[in-house]
Order: sequence, then C-alpha cells, then structure tokens
Amino acid sequence: MILHADLDAFYAAVAVRDDPGLRGVPLAVAGSSRRAVVLTASYEARPFGVRSAMPLYQARARCPKLVVVTPDFTRYREASSAVFAILRSHAQAVQGLSLDEAFCDLGELGLEDGLERGRRIKTAVRETVGLSISIGVAANKMVAKIASDEGKPDGLVGVPVGEEAAYLADKPVARLWGIGPKTQVRLNARGIERIGQLAQLDDEQIYRLLGRFGRELRELARGIDGRTVSEDDDVRSISSEETFEHDIVTIDELLPIVRTQAGELAQRLHDRGLRAYTVGVKVKLSDFSVVGRQTSLAQPTDDLRVINAAASFCLRRAAPSKPVRLIGVRVASLVALQARQIGLFS
Amino acid sequence: MKFRGNAKEVASAVAAASKVVNAHTTMPILGNVLLTARQGRVSVRATDLELTLENAFNAEISEEGQCTVPARLFSGYLANLPAATLEMTGTASRATLKCERSNYEFFALPAEEYPPLPEGTSSQEFRVDAKAFRDAANAVTFAASSEEARGPVLMGTLLELEGASLTMVATDGYRLARYQLALTEPVKDAGRLIVPARALGEVVRVASAGTIEAKVLGGQANQLVFNTGDVKVIARLIDGQYPNYQQVIPKEFDKRVIASTEKLLASLRRAEVVAGDRASMVKLAMDGTSLVITASSDTAGTAYEEIDVERTGDPLTIAFNARYLVEILNHVGSDTVAMSFQGALNPGAIRPATGELAERQLYILMPLRQ
Repeated sequence: MILHADLDAFYAAVAVRDDPGLRGVPLAVAGSSRRAVVLTASYEARPFGVRSAMPLYQARARCPKLVVVTPDFTRYREASSAVFAILRSHAQAVQGLSLDEAFCDLGELGLEDGLERGRRIKTAVRETVGLSISIGVAANKMVAKIASDEGKPDGLVGVPVGEEAAYLADKPVARLWGIGPKTQVRLNARGIERIGQLAQLDDEQIYRLLGRFGRELRELARGIDGRTVSEDDDVRSISSEETFEHDIVTIDELLPIVRTQAGELAQRLHDRGLRAYTVGVKVKLSDFSVVGRQTSLAQPTDDLRVINAAASFCLRRAAPSKPVRLIGVRVASLVALQARQIGLFS
Repeated sequence: MKFRGNAKEVASAVAAASKVVNAHTTMPILGNVLLTARQGRVSVRATDLELTLENAFNAEISEEGQCTVPARLFSGYLANLPAATLEMTGTASRATLKCERSNYEFFALPAEEYPPLPEGTSSQEFRVDAKAFRDAANAVTFAASSEEARGPVLMGTLLELEGASLTMVATDGYRLARYQLALTEPVKDAGRLIVPARALGEVVRVASAGTIEAKVLGGQANQLVFNTGDVKVIARLIDGQYPNYQQVIPKEFDKRVIASTEKLLASLRRAEVVAGDRASMVKLAMDGTSLVITASSDTAGTAYEEIDVERTGDPLTIAFNARYLVEILNHVGSDTVAMSFQGALNPGAIRPATGELAERQLYILMPLRQ
C-alpha cells in the first residue's frame, strides 16, 4: 500500500500554530516587499479567491481583512523534519516531494491497516508537531495522491484495491499526472472531460489523440501506476517546482518563491547528507516554452543562502521574456561529503 | 581608404583581432573589424565591448581612412589567399579586395558607427617587462574564481601598483595566489585595478618579449590598455571592491616543512586518484622527518604516500582539497617547496623554498574541516 501525505496550508498552519490569535482569520504568508506574492493562503482566505503565487496587493484587494505574516523558514524546516521523522517511523520507505509532501511505502498491507496507519500518522503529527495533515491511501502513488487531495483539509481517504479505475472515473482528466493545460484542451475538444472516458479509448483512438504517450496516460486513467516509492538513495538531482494559477510577470515577484524553493532544497540536501555543485532554475513561460539556466559552484553547498544567490542569479540571467507559469529550482552534481572547505574571508 | 599589403600579414592581423568577435552579437557593427590606415600602418581592431584587440601591419597606403568589414567573411576569405599582394579599397558601404586575379566586394558598415576607444587617459600607467608579467600572470590567474553567481570581482585578477612594484593577486575565496614583480620604473600614483581573466590571458598570449606599456583610459578610468609590440589589448576593468587579501595572509607560522616539489606533486596526483571526485580530500600528517599523505574513499580504496621532508615545529595533521594543492604545486617555481602552517583549521602557506621567487611568490590555502 502507498500512502501520500500532504500538510494542509503548511506555512499558514505553522503561523497559526505559533500564534493562536491567528486562528480562524483569513491569513496569507507572504514577503514584506511591495511586490510580494502569496506563498500560502489559509483555508479561511481561500473563499475570497486568495491563492498562492498571487501578488499580495491583489490578494488584499480580494480580501481586505487578510492578515499577512512573513515566512519563517527555520520554523518550516523544523516542522518538516519532525513530520518526516513521524512518516519514517510508520513506513518502509519515504520519498519527500517537498517540505510538506511525501509518499510512503507501507509494504504489503490491506486497506484497513493502511488507513489505521494513516490515522496514527495524523494523530502523531497533530500531537507532536501541532499541524493537520491530509492523507490518501491506495495501491499506487498517483491514486494515493489524488485521494489525499480529495480529502483536504485534514482528510483521510482510502481507495480499495481493484477499485482504482472506478474511483478515478468521474474525476476531471486534468487530475491525472502528465495532463497539462494543452492536453486538457485537446481532450476536452473531443468531448473527453472525465478520466473514465479516457480509460475507455482503444489503442488507435488514444494514439491519434495523444501520440506515443497516450497509452501511458490511459494506463494512469485506468488506475494503473507502477512507480515505486524511491528513497532517492542514488539521486542525481533534487528539484522543487511550483506552477502558478496566475502567470507571474516580474522577477521581483519570482525571487521570494525562488528563495522558498532554495530553502526547501537546502533542507532536503541536509537531510540526505548531500551537497550540490550545480544550481539551476527552470522557468516555464505562458506559451509553455521552457527556459533553463544553471551555474556551477567552486565548492559544493547545502547552504540556503548560497543556493538562493545562485538560483536568483540564474533567474536574472534567464530573463523570462513572457509571463511565467512555473518556476523550479534544481540542485545537481551531488556529492556526499565528510569534509567542508573553510573559506578565506568568512 | 586604400592600401596594398602582404596578404599573409593582413590575414594574421585580422585573424588575431577577430578572435574577440562574438558570433551572436545583437549589434551588427560588433560583428565587424575596424581597419584604420594611417602613416604606413594599418591597424585592425575588434571588440565585444568587454575586451578589445588591436593588431597592425605595414602597408603601402594610397589613401588614409577607415573601413569596417564583417569579421567572419573577411577572415574566411583571407585565410585562403596565396602569399601575394592584396589591394583593399574601403568606403562606408563597401570593401573591395583584389588579389592576383580574384576580386571581391563585401558589404561594409560606416566606420563612425564603430565603438570608439575611450577618450583621454588618466595618470595611472605602468611599464613592465613582458616576460616577467607573463610569468606572474601564469602563476596567479588560475586561482581566480569561476563562479559567476558570486559576482565578477573574484573572477578577475587584482593588479596592485605601488612604487616600483606590481603585486598580482587572484583568489576564489578558498585559495589565494600572490606574486610580486618589479616595474621598469616607479609609478606616479599607487592604484588597484581588477582585470578580467580573459584579458590577462590574451596579454599572456601575445606578450612574449620586450616591454608592456599599460595605461588606464577614459574619463571614467574603466579601461586598461596593454601595448606590446604590434598588439593592443584593451580590457574593461571590473568595478568593485577587491577583498582585503592582506588580512588573510597569516603573519606568523610555527610549523614548516620543506619538500621536493616534484615528489610531493607526484604523491598528491596519485593520492588524488583514490580521493576521487572534485571534493577529494587528502590528509597530510607531518611528524619526524616524514610527510604522510593519505586518502580514502568508499568506492576506490585507500592511498598512503610517504616522503622525506625537512621539518620544524610540532607535528600536525591537516586536510586539504587535493585538487587545490595540486594546482598550486603545479605553479610553484622552484625545485623545493616550503609549506607553513599554524593549526589544522588555519590557512596554510605554500611558496618556493629557495631562489629569488621565495619572497615574491606565495599561495594561501584553506584546509578542509572534517
């Protein structure tokens, strides 16, 4: 059984946990600059239309009572480490996707036992870390992720083995991995709105519609996903990406997001005892073209400041010419290091 | 502009200057070379605005003037000419070239559009023996940073002028190279110039003998021209504050070993094979009259090397990045090398043990913390 765990409105939830006065108010975590963007919105802020990656002034316009707090990455990292420790004690293998999201391999287990494991994780996270986490349990990674999403916030959703296809059938096709906005438009144009419709296409139809990736997508639509939970023992690179609901136009708005991602990568490197020689950014523009830039470091690093500086440098060099719909930071050329080079001027 | 010259000489001057032309320039004029015919000499200039190269050749000039020609076309054409006389006529829009029975016409751009050299000179200038300058640059520039993300200052080399001496310094923040040499005559004003690596590389390439005359140009004093023989190398200086390098050079050391440069280098190169990737760590243990070098890795195994040394001070074990040590020792200009230390977490100093370079050439290397 695979378990997908995703902390609810993570940054906002940490702020509320540490300042109970913020409970129940519409809350956004955002930088303090004039061009700041929302990093996380609390569930109370979401009905107003406040979304992550939205410029702060726009969020304030939509929700005049919005309370804004600045991010505190030290606390996020602490909370994340504590949650991952809980996940590891309940699973055979844990694959972190970001600070607030992970897949767990629970081993050979029935759905009921899997759900029980999920309940224990939720309790432990609430009691020891003070946060709420949504959990999906299913036979494979994709279905588990869709299930945890469905239960948000504070959810626990299990999908019985063998019923994956039925579970997915009436969900929109965009929920499937690998279906981006372009593919969605193409499918919708042929009247294919639901995952179940995609699952029923025959070989020829799927090929004509989606080309050589069609069969793979149809497998996913049928609830079949063979990917395993990898502990990233042999990782070549680690990345953190975010797709925005609204395209972002200026570099100043992207920089705080890059900083968040740099912090997340620093933590994941640190957790694995790795350091990176290469830092890069990937930028997807509004026309879906992708620009990438990377830079090499003289000394491998797991330092947030170094990764942030290098990623910001790459972003400036990439100089996105159109609004940005996705940004990601990536670290590569990873080495496990026993010794750290001392600097001359530090 | 009109001149007659030796096709081979024209070809080599154009090829040498064209190296700096960037094929992907967004300013069409920067894809051209500028020819200036005056008083029996024709100069060929090319620039990417950061670095400008100028070469010259003798010619029989019938009409003085200037012309710009697309660098790639021009050098491609010239490279295939026989050793014969080339006659060139240039206007603002056309360059006509005649050699034996071939006749070519290239589209030109007006010479007035070519970026001018900065006007005026500052009083900052110096003269130095070309070979001495080349040796210094070779011994220093490798230590500069190649990390673009950390900014341009550490990617350049510092030229510090004071009295009759020039001190060249490069560092990437972990190792530092310093080399002092004498100027031909004392400078009027002391100064600190940060020169891009590419420009110094070019000076090293062209300055083989004679004297280099260097002069800061421009009202903003932001370009440095090196004149040597027929060649000018003009570099845009790097703007910024060079770190206070003197502060990180320890004044005193209480431990010192002297070893054969060749033996130490060979041992380190072998040990580096085991130490593996770029973060390769070697440990140096100094005790009695021996220096023991060890390295190990989970995948490769272990390395042990022992060499005889002259040693003073307490025993010490210190860890370094093998690559850094090897690169430094590759540049030490004497048969024996002196390494001085304080503690395992303090900078080590490496310099020639004997000869006249002992006082002038110095490397500082930070250790690894285990």
